[in-house]
Amino acid sequence: MQRRCSIGAYVWLIVVAGTVSGDDDAFFREAVEPILRHHCYECHAHSSGNMEGGLTLDWRSGWKTGGDRGPAIVPGDPAASLLIRAISHSDPDLQMPEEKLAQHDIDVLTQWVKRGAPDPRTAKPEAALDPTDWWSLQPLVRPKVPVVSGANPIDAFLRAKLAEQNLVRSDHADRRTLLRRLTFDLHGLPPTSEELAAFEADTDPAAWEHLIDRLLASPRYGERWARHWLDTVHFADSHGFEHDVFRPHAWRYRDYVIDSFNRDTPWGTFIREQLAADVFYPDSPQLTAALGFLGAGPYDQSAAATAPMSFEYLDRDDLVTQTMGAFVSTTANCARCHAHKFDPIPQADYFALQAVFAGIGKGDISYDADPAIAQQRPRWQNLIAAATAGNAEVLLAEENQKLLAAWEADRPAQAVWKPLQLLTFVSTGGADLRKRADGSVLSAGTRPDKETTVVTVTTELSEITAFRLDVLTDESLPVMGPGRADNGNLHLSEFEVSVFRPAQDAAETVRIRRATADFDQTNWTIQHALDGNPATAWGIHPQVGQSHHAVFELETPLPVDADTQFAITLKQVHGGSHIIGRFRLSATDGPPATAIALAAETAAVLDIPPESRSREQQLQLSGAVLKHLAQQQLSQLPAQVQVYAAAAAAKNERGMVTFSKPRPIHLLTRGDLEKPRDEVAPGTLSALAHLSARFSLPAGHSENARRTALADWIADSQNPLTWRSIANRVWHYHFGRGVCDTPNDFGRMGSLPTHPQLLDWMACELRDKNGSLKHLHRLICTSETYQQTSHGNSGVQTPDPDNRWLARMSRRRLDADSYRDAVLAVAGQLDLTMGGPGISHFTTSPGPQVTPVLHYDAFDLDSAGAGRRSIYRVVWRGIADPFLDALDFPDLGLLAPTRGFSASPLQSLVLLNNRFVLHHCRHMADRARKETDDLQQQIGQTVMRTWLRIPTDEERNMFHSLAEKHGLEAVCRLLLNSNEFLFVD
Amino acid sequence: MVPTMQHSRNAAHRYSRRAMLADSGGGFGSAALACLLQQQTANARSENDLNGGIHHRAKVRRVIQLFMNGGASPMDTFDYKPELERLHGQDLGPKEKPEGFTAAVGTVMKSPFPFAQHGETGRWVSSMFPHQAKIVDELAFLMAMSSRTNVHGPASYMMNTGFTLPGFPCMGAWISYALGNLSDNLPSFVVLPDPRGLPYNQKANFSAGFLPSRYQGTIVDAASKTPVPDLLADPQYEFARGEADADTVALLQQINRQHAAAHPDDSRLEARIAAGELAARMQLSAPEAFDLSSESRATQTAYGLDQPATEDYGRRCLLARRLVERGTRFVQVWSGPQGATNNWDNHGNITAELPPIALSVDQPIAALFTDLKSRGLLDDTLVIWTTEFGRTPFAQGSLGRDHNRGTFVTWLAGAGIKAGATHGRSDDLGYQTAEGQTFCYDLHATILHLLGIDHKRLTYRTAGIDRRLTDVHGDVIRSILA
Repeated sequence: MQRRCSIGAYVWLIVVAGTVSGDDDAFFREAVEPILRHHCYECHAHSSGNMEGGLTLDWRSGWKTGGDRGPAIVPGDPAASLLIRAISHSDPDLQMPEEKLAQHDIDVLTQWVKRGAPDPRTAKPEAALDPTDWWSLQPLVRPKVPVVSGANPIDAFLRAKLAEQNLVRSDHADRRTLLRRLTFDLHGLPPTSEELAAFEADTDPAAWEHLIDRLLASPRYGERWARHWLDTVHFADSHGFEHDVFRPHAWRYRDYVIDSFNRDTPWGTFIREQLAADVFYPDSPQLTAALGFLGAGPYDQSAAATAPMSFEYLDRDDLVTQTMGAFVSTTANCARCHAHKFDPIPQADYFALQAVFAGIGKGDISYDADPAIAQQRPRWQNLIAAATAGNAEVLLAEENQKLLAAWEADRPAQAVWKPLQLLTFVSTGGADLRKRADGSVLSAGTRPDKETTVVTVTTELSEITAFRLDVLTDESLPVMGPGRADNGNLHLSEFEVSVFRPAQDAAETVRIRRATADFDQTNWTIQHALDGNPATAWGIHPQVGQSHHAVFELETPLPVDADTQFAITLKQVHGGSHIIGRFRLSATDGPPATAIALAAETAAVLDIPPESRSREQQLQLSGAVLKHLAQQQLSQLPAQVQVYAAAAAAKNERGMVTFSKPRPIHLLTRGDLEKPRDEVAPGTLSALAHLSARFSLPAGHSENARRTALADWIADSQNPLTWRSIANRVWHYHFGRGVCDTPNDFGRMGSLPTHPQLLDWMACELRDKNGSLKHLHRLICTSETYQQTSHGNSGVQTPDPDNRWLARMSRRRLDADSYRDAVLAVAGQLDLTMGGPGISHFTTSPGPQVTPVLHYDAFDLDSAGAGRRSIYRVVWRGIADPFLDALDFPDLGLLAPTRGFSASPLQSLVLLNNRFVLHHCRHMADRARKETDDLQQQIGQTVMRTWLRIPTDEERNMFHSLAEKHGLEAVCRLLLNSNEFLFVD
Repeated sequence: MVPTMQHSRNAAHRYSRRAMLADSGGGFGSAALACLLQQQTANARSENDLNGGIHHRAKVRRVIQLFMNGGASPMDTFDYKPELERLHGQDLGPKEKPEGFTAAVGTVMKSPFPFAQHGETGRWVSSMFPHQAKIVDELAFLMAMSSRTNVHGPASYMMNTGFTLPGFPCMGAWISYALGNLSDNLPSFVVLPDPRGLPYNQKANFSAGFLPSRYQGTIVDAASKTPVPDLLADPQYEFARGEADADTVALLQQINRQHAAAHPDDSRLEARIAAGELAARMQLSAPEAFDLSSESRATQTAYGLDQPATEDYGRRCLLARRLVERGTRFVQVWSGPQGATNNWDNHGNITAELPPIALSVDQPIAALFTDLKSRGLLDDTLVIWTTEFGRTPFAQGSLGRDHNRGTFVTWLAGAGIKAGATHGRSDDLGYQTAEGQTFCYDLHATILHLLGIDHKRLTYRTAGIDRRLTDVHGDVIRSILA
């Protein structure tokens, strides 16, 4: 096609060159216009609805006026014409179209401009059809159900279409088929023979409805349907990319999704929870797990470190793709480099969506799963903040003063610190340690760069609740000390205590709960002496030249007898001779209220009776003590849990990464980071005229306001995309094909719905019945359409091989997860434990980088948890499980709204020979042998479990000879490979 | 489930036995089939005229890709840069660390390795590749390849799938999808990773992405006794071995046929039965293909199997030849795992890190080429030597080189390639391209072109787009075509 155009143009060039006055009009129509039409109109014409950069090339005024950059053509002057510059790709900032035109075409257009750009197209072209005139963008209006007597509304819509197609629906399937169909559909598991017997014997006319209700009420339902959603949002337990690192906390989102389906959380709530639970439901901190949605996709840890700009850009792109694909079935990401070629989505919409997510980054976020704890934590955190800021209003408030009074009452009047008796003291740094008469130790002689001092001591106390370290001034030290650094400072990296009891062989580590110091250097607090990290330490600068002390409170009081010795290690490994110049160690058996180091002037306040203290004194004391008490309370709360998500502050491999405010987002020419244009405010699709596409957020709004606004837009009852999207997904999973069979794309590149009225009716029904998926399941499963046979009434219908009109039920092959779960079930090995960290179906060994090597073939198939459902499997994004992979488990690098079907020799080999299948053949056979000694019965049982029916005599005979020759396991292997097991009618 | 391929819905109203076979992985690829059906309708040329191509006559039927993982340094191998000698030690690099560089930019660093001219074409090759230097007249070089990223993960994705993001099908998957098998006895797309570890992105480099999963690469552990996973049951499962296996599979096929007969008009049931037949054939043929012991001593020595340094890559190159000889369509032979050592990612010290990895591949690669040629396989086999990006002419630290997407080298050889051709040139430092810049899109377009595929017409619709291996880019690099 293109070649023909070019030859035509060539002929024209020759003709033009050979005549003095060519026919301008014909030249334009035959040579120039086809090129423009073919290569330029897509983005620059009324007919396509696209006028990128404001430029149209479909009439003369269009290029004369030009777009943002001014007139596109200067007649007679190709060099000065933007159009010619653009098509010849001579200017790197202006290259159009992206795929350069053939040289012949460039020659023709250049020649045309040179000749004055004669253009007979003076009339303004007809505007294109309204680009928003598209089925999925139309407001949602509940359609009238066709009048068909006695029919479920769903059947009514379908029958109307069947009649149009001259098709007749199929017979009602038998109960065995229905039970197997429904159980796999709602639970992803096979029914048992007992369930079959019960259902077949159930004479209640509502038996089917009862069965549906029973299955929907079972937690197995959530486990099955959560998998669909996790596919849709490309959730996995590892990053993907180069550093395919495990995410130990991702599973909390998986459990949240399972729980949400089981609770039948209204769909709008489900949307709001996943995008902004922190804003919508602040009193339900357990819903923080929902934000795992924002962290579901891949993460390029390597690029995050070395190419942060492009990393953040593409990471946001993935989140936009996921959010808009999953919730509104829209391919907004196609508008990254240019306006969407098919749907009414300008680049500005795309970048407005990027702006929604411009204030968050992926990582683990901590939260209290228990709402009661979640309420306490901020109380103490606020008190610490108030103490740090010296906030009198809070500190002197009655409830806090009560705390202080109780603490004072608990505190003994006398100091109770008993010096420890020194047995040995060693400097590993090489200093000369000298014991002083007052029990202190002075560091003299060589001044080491780093130091670790080990002291062994005894005590006369019979119990210790806290240790105390005094660092003391001395005339021999620089600026009096107490450190030996030139400025008198010291850095205590770690404070460690071990206890040696005569009756025990080994030393025992003494666990320290908390530490306080009378003074902390900024960012060098005493907590750093307990954090196990030698790179951090306690310091006392600038308060040098005066003595200081720290108190270390034990986790539990430590009983001591006369022979007990302690080894106390003072690590001072910061360097620069930041070592202790002189110290003394003591201990106490006093109550917790003793275990606090107070600055001298604060301690002095304690000696004044409360009624005689000045307000300043009381404030000073309150600050120190209440901070201490609040820290004590916090340390006693249960640890927070984490979920892998995305937030303004999240912990990743670089530590806590905080976005203090959202990144500015610019519209990028051709999506190129190096070509930024105007900044774009947060917003969403503009194609839905009745919903505002730009969020009017006040200046200085917080990041989460953006997510909130998007969630509100999506979950709006007037957003037709949202409700059509989820109704279609539900239909898709029930029938193997959506009413629109491109569930993530309702645009012009997607498919048209076969039953648009039905889809709209279901969308309204779902929306108006509290967003209940279970309601929709019931409607669908009780329809006659769902209960038809899958082989149809052969002979009477015109062919509909793809079963678009549903004159029969669609036969389904078990998906990867259902197959594995079904094998476990029939082998009697299924473990129905719910929730919790994922089960790794592999062992690992260290890889060349941070990604481990996964050994799927070394997994112990009988280990604890090996029989749990596939939804609880660790899904390593970049290292697929070859077994589930063979059954089309999707690559979760991208969204996977549908599962594929393949049948290949390699798949056959996996199903025949994979150790999982073979191992469970043994369990299946063992199970049958345990139940009966009779081989015929064993075969009967095994067939019943896999096929849910009694074998025919012929089958029984064949299986019997196979089993006699090669064991019952061979029959099990055959059954697990049979199409009758793999497919569901 | 319905097949997700657009064309199979549009072109074939009913699933024929041929369509079924195509879907089961034998015979034609799905795209080939759709095209063939259109051609039959249009009464176009017969398939033989296309030599296996689907849009035009193919010159290549099979491909071996040698992938140097980590970013092979151009200016220390094939891209001779005398200017680096003159400017050595000068501070000419970018002042700010570009995206994806892992460290501060150092001063210009000359290659520590001597270069000499080789062959009639007088091509400069460094002392790193003495064996490839002997065959340079037969190779065509792309001297100005570029990537869009300086980061391994996305760059490896790009060279394999044409996109910097995960989830897209790799070239081998596209080719399998387009053309299907040459033989029913072996997988059509085989990946031979370095036994020391998978490359960056792990298995995702060999993924079928959104294409049906059967088109993904079959990962073969060349050193394993069971190179094709699950080809046979583990011996501990005696009920699945030998006669027991044969009897079970025979009865299985019978049972599945009876089931299919009772459920007519469902091609998927037939496809599973056909796949079972093909699996049995693969079980018979694959072990022979992977058994190198039948190769002559001379051949084994030529590939370097007798020397520790070259033994591993030599074995995998020899295996690649045996596979394409027996009908595997596309084989990838990886050199180097991910990570900081044993690969081409020579950040720390070029002088120390490059020689061992270069030594390990050089003789095997030259031997592979010579062997393919002497067996006549080069008449329809294409060999490509690739990496994911180049390295900086500026030192990292004082002795290493950092990632550089700016310019790097790829070579192609074999069917349809103009021996000795050169396309493109890097700048005098070897930092950026100077002329004839090409991207993976152009390389992929050229490879598809040689296979008889128009890269713009090999599409698969997913999530709103007709996706291509070459995205919206790609020009066939005609100057290197014979």
